[in-house]
Order: sequence, then structure tokens, then C-alpha cells
Amino acid sequence: MKRLKSIVMVAFAVVIAAAYTVPTLPASAATSSAMSIAPKKNYVIDPGKSVKDKLTIRNLDRNHPLELSLRVVDFTFTDDGGTPKLLLDENTPQTTWSLKPFLKVPEGVTIPAGGSKTLNMSVSIPAGHGAGSYYSAIVYSTGAPGGGNVGLSASGVTLVFTQIPGKVNEKLTLKNFGAYILPMQTQKPGYVFFTMQKPQGMAYTLQNDGNVTEAPVGSITIKDIFGNEQKITNVNPTGSLALIGQTRTFTSCIKLQSQNVDFNGDKSKANNCVEPDLWPGIYTATLDVFYGQNGNMTQEVTGTAMFWYLPGWFIILVIVVLLVAFFGGRKLWYNLQEKLHGGVRLNKKSSRRR
Amino acid sequence: MYHFHAHTFLWRRILSEETLSLLLAFFVFVAPASAITRLQERSLLMYTSTPGVTTTYKVSFGYLSPTAVGSVDMLFCNDPIPYMPCVTPTGLDVSHATLSSQSGETNFSILTQNTNHIILSRAPTVPLASGLSSYTLSGVVNPTDTSQPFSIRLRTHSTMNATGPQIDAGSVRGQVLNGIELQAQVPPQLIFCLAQTVEYNCVGTNDVYYTDMGQLSASSTLTAQSQMAVGTNASGGFAVTASGTPLAAGTNVIDSPTTPTVSKKGTNQFGMNLVANNDPTVGEDPEGPFTNAVASADYGVPNKYKFVSGDIIAYSPNVSLMKKFTVSYIVNSSKDLRAGVYTTTITYLASGRF
Repeated sequence: MKRLKSIVMVAFAVVIAAAYTVPTLPASAATSSAMSIAPKKNYVIDPGKSVKDKLTIRNLDRNHPLELSLRVVDFTFTDDGGTPKLLLDENTPQTTWSLKPFLKVPEGVTIPAGGSKTLNMSVSIPAGHGAGSYYSAIVYSTGAPGGGNVGLSASGVTLVFTQIPGKVNEKLTLKNFGAYILPMQTQKPGYVFFTMQKPQGMAYTLQNDGNVTEAPVGSITIKDIFGNEQKITNVNPTGSLALIGQTRTFTSCIKLQSQNVDFNGDKSKANNCVEPDLWPGIYTATLDVFYGQNGNMTQEVTGTAMFWYLPGWFIILVIVVLLVAFFGGRKLWYNLQEKLHGGVRLNKKSSRRR
Repeated sequence: MYHFHAHTFLWRRILSEETLSLLLAFFVFVAPASAITRLQERSLLMYTSTPGVTTTYKVSFGYLSPTAVGSVDMLFCNDPIPYMPCVTPTGLDVSHATLSSQSGETNFSILTQNTNHIILSRAPTVPLASGLSSYTLSGVVNPTDTSQPFSIRLRTHSTMNATGPQIDAGSVRGQVLNGIELQAQVPPQLIFCLAQTVEYNCVGTNDVYYTDMGQLSASSTLTAQSQMAVGTNASGGFAVTASGTPLAAGTNVIDSPTTPTVSKKGTNQFGMNLVANNDPTVGEDPEGPFTNAVASADYGVPNKYKFVSGDIIAYSPNVSLMKKFTVSYIVNSSKDLRAGVYTTTITYLASGRF
């Protein structure tokens, strides 16, 4: 009996020790969380027709397989930028622009370490379906982790846009236009009327009250006080969209620099905003953009704006020049007075005495 | 001198501070006006929008001015703005197009044409037809560049050969698209990986997807960090959102600040940021040569922490080479916090932008 008791106690101690020891060791997860996916897909599909396409997913991890579950969710906009707000909750009502009923993707996939897989996907639009823009997102999720206080889970997203041609309702309203401090600049991003930092961008904000996504095109002309012009010939260089119901701010560089970059072994073109050739002073800008779907009316939005660019050094210089002019002018005035009045200096005190 | 003062007195009264202020305000706020007569309700219907195919275009618009029209000038350019240089859309060819039908204002025929230019001509007549006039051009070869729209710049003239002053003007917009979008260059891809530590280019991680933060104490701040690397060659850039619940043990929750807040020992606080901190010492600044990809403003302030589920924590507005972000986590607890194992799972979601 005594022996049995000691065996039980030893076993209990081993279990307790194991329970305390095992979680402190970093557990090696069975799957990878390093993926390469397509960020966006665009289709034009007539009612009653469908398209079949491929989704290529790569596992960049050379040591572990990548296990992904796929699901289609709706999305809308987060703010006036281009970041999607994914409606991940299963109970979220379907949006009016949802592509969920028409988009078919596999439920899951396992990709071997360092490999890739191509999945079939399709979008089928029923006959008689109304024209407009429809969009949803494909979410690729790795499994939920176990252990620790903070677990990490990675997901990738492909945005899928489909245009159904036909007569649509299009309405863009200009809400704002002007010089814009870009996120890469040190000042807080946003529109500026007066700025001490050279603005690198121009922006315009359009409210989309139609039933289609819109990607306006056009140009902006910036003019200084002497009439010298700078033109932004492509005011939507990334083909950005104003989603249905969104008030979208489109930004473009005043001076653009393109460079070819090597991205993951492929050559790509990257555009960066660089310091524009702006002298201190006041600028006027005119906006002229067009939008309109195929077969629908081409509509135009125009606007004008003004902004001041006055850097700190220029303000100091102006103050110095004004002070010099003031004191120089005063001295000149007194000298003139002395000459005119034969050496008698006029000032307020002496005037009052007289 | 008296006469001099008498003369200048009047001007000094007129050019008072108030008058100067009014002049300045006028100078600043009055926008330049412009007068352009536009062709009304312009539209372009491309019978097929497939790149490079020969198809039919129907151009419609309403004449505005009651002036005799002898010619309609149609210039096909990338940019719709009339005063901008005209770049012929890649692949477009209207040199063999025919005017297959017309309605509204009729009796036009093609006078001259080349790759991107058609002049319709007739005996000068004052437009009588109310509503829209349409001109159908058959045998148009579509542009091949799906990445940008193109335009037809329209002008009407009294002369029969589109010379002399224009009467009305306006542009229509079109774009070629595939049922399945073919990428002219490298297909866009979004690369994303996440773990406790990751390699800059995502080829390896330490495969640990949770982090143990240790024993909670009112007198100390617990810290931990994870890493993610992200990059894209898509022109729209990327966004990473963080979703999850605050640390919780059953119904007991350690709340998170909703605005960037300094770490305060002895209070219940769970937060994160994406930069190097020294209070407490945790984290690293983003690594990578490209400046496009940045931590969101609220998560990019050293020594200030925040967590709101669904927030964008990092993004790039356009192409970005790989960038590695280190996420710092801090947990503070009050002495009244109930004992328990506090856990959460944060899902990091990398998506393209629209």
C-alpha cells in the first residue's frame, strides 16, 4: 500500500512538473504563415455569363506547409482612403453590392513548403441581373494559434470587383480640392491652405452617390503668381476607386518620380512623390476630371483651389526685409526732412512744444 | 511740404489698413473664372470592350450653341483635357473606321481620318434636332492598354474641315477591360508573413505564433513583440489591419486605450505600437528601404500605445518593397485585477487597396 502511494505521488509530481515545463518551451507550429496572393481581381461580366479564373497562392516558408481556409466576405470602405473594411462577422447582413452569391472559391488549401498552388474560382452573373458594380473579398486565413497570452493569426485578402455593363446611376460630387500633405511627409497628412512645409501632393475628394464604383481621370493645373504652370497629367495614377456611398480622397504627386524596382524577383514600376519645384508664394490650382461607365454619359467635375506655401526661412526673410525697409525708410524720411527744413529736425515732441 | 502732405493725406486715408485687408482678401479668395461651352450629355458606347479587337463605337452628345456646325472633330487621346498634349492610346486605330449610322443632327461624312483622328463634315447648318445626336463608327480597333482609360476629345466647328474657332467642346471616356483581366506586366502580388520573428523577405520565420508575457504585476509593465513583413507590387498599395479582443480571462478584461497613451503601471492597460520605445524598452522601428510603407499615425508614436480592433496599423498607398514591422505589446495591471490567465488572439489581415 505504501509502495502504491509513493508511485501515485511520483506520477502526480511528474504530471505537475510536465504541466509547468511544457508550455514554457516554444512550441513549433505545424504550418507556415508566409503567403503571396493576388491583391485584386477585376472582371466585366454580362448578365447570364460567367468567368472562370485562377487564384495562385505561394507559400514562401521553406520549412513548413501553409494551410489556409478560404471564405468570401463583403467589404466597404474604412474612411476616405482605399483601405477595405472587411465585414468578417458571419451575422453581418449581405451588402447590396455583394458578390458573395456569384463568387465561388474552394474552402481550403494546403501548400507545401516553398511551393505554390493554383485554385479555380468563378464568378457567374444570373441572366437579367441589373447593371452596376459588385464586390466582395476572398479571405485566406491561417489557423488560430494555441498557448501564450497573445496569439497571432495571419490572413491575406484578395479584393474582387465585377462590373455588370448597362445603364447605371452615376453621381460624383466634389467635396474638397487643394494642396495635400502626404503620409510620407513629416507634417500630419491632409489638406492645407497655408503650409510652411512644401506640399508634395494635390488631392480632391469626391462623394459617390451612384450605384457603381468610379475611377475618375483628368488633370490638375497649378499656377504661381507669375502664371507659371505645373500640370499633373494623371490625377488617378493608381486607378483608385470611389466605392458605392464613399466620400473618397484621391491624391496625386505634384512631381512624380518613377523607378523600376525588383520585387520578389520580378521587375515592377514604383512611383514616388518627390519635392516639387515650388517657390514660396500663393498658388492657384484647377481640377478637371471625367468619369462615366461604358455606354453611359461622360460627366465632368471641375474645381479651383488656392494655397500658400511660406516656409519658415522665407517668413524670417520677409520680416528682416520689412524691418530693414521700415528703419531704412524712416532714416531716409528724417534725412529728407532735415534737408527740406535746413537742418531743423522735426519730431513729435518738438512739434508739440511749438 | 504742405502741398505734399495735403496730397498724401488723401491717399493715406484711402489706403487704410481696412482697405488693404479687403484687397488682400479679394486677392486670396476670388477664384479665377472660366467660360467653356460644353457639348451636352456626352457618352461613348463601346460595343465590345475587349482590348485590341475591332468593334463599333457609338458617340452621342447634344449640341449646345445655336451656331451653324460644319464639322465635328474627334481626337482619340489618353487624356481627356483638350489643352493637354495628346498621346494616342496604345493599340487604338480608327484609320479604317466608317460612319455606319447617325441620328439627330445628320448628313455628316468622314472628311479625313488617321490612327487617332476623325473629322466628320457636312454643309454648315444650325443644329435643329433637340436631344441627343449619335454617330456610330464601325471598324474601330480597341486600345490594348487595360491599365488606363482613354478619351475622345470632341469639338464642333462652323467650317467643314474643323479649322477656325471651335463652337462647343467636350470629351467622352472609355476603357478596355477583359472578362478576365490580363496583366500587361508582372501580375500584382501581395506578400505577407507573421510570427514572433520573421525574415525581411518572408522566406523564414521562427514559427512561433504566440507570445507569453509573464506574470502580471501592478508594479511592472509586461512587454512582448511580434514581427510581420509585407510588400506589394500592386499600384494601389496594401493595408494591414489588426483585429481581436483585449486581453481577457473569462469575464475579466484588461481594456485597451482608444487613443495613443503612455504606459501607466498599476492600471489595467493593453496596447501596441509599431516603433522602437524606451518606456518600457521594447520594439524596433520599421525596417526597409522604401518610404512608402508606414505605420499608421496612431501606432507610430514612440512610447504611446493603443489597440482598437479593426484599426489599420500599417499601410502603403502604392507599390512598396518588403518592409518589416515589429509590433510591441505592453500590459499593465492594477492591484485589483482578478487572478487568471489573460489571453487574446490578434488577427493581422493584409489586403490590397482599392
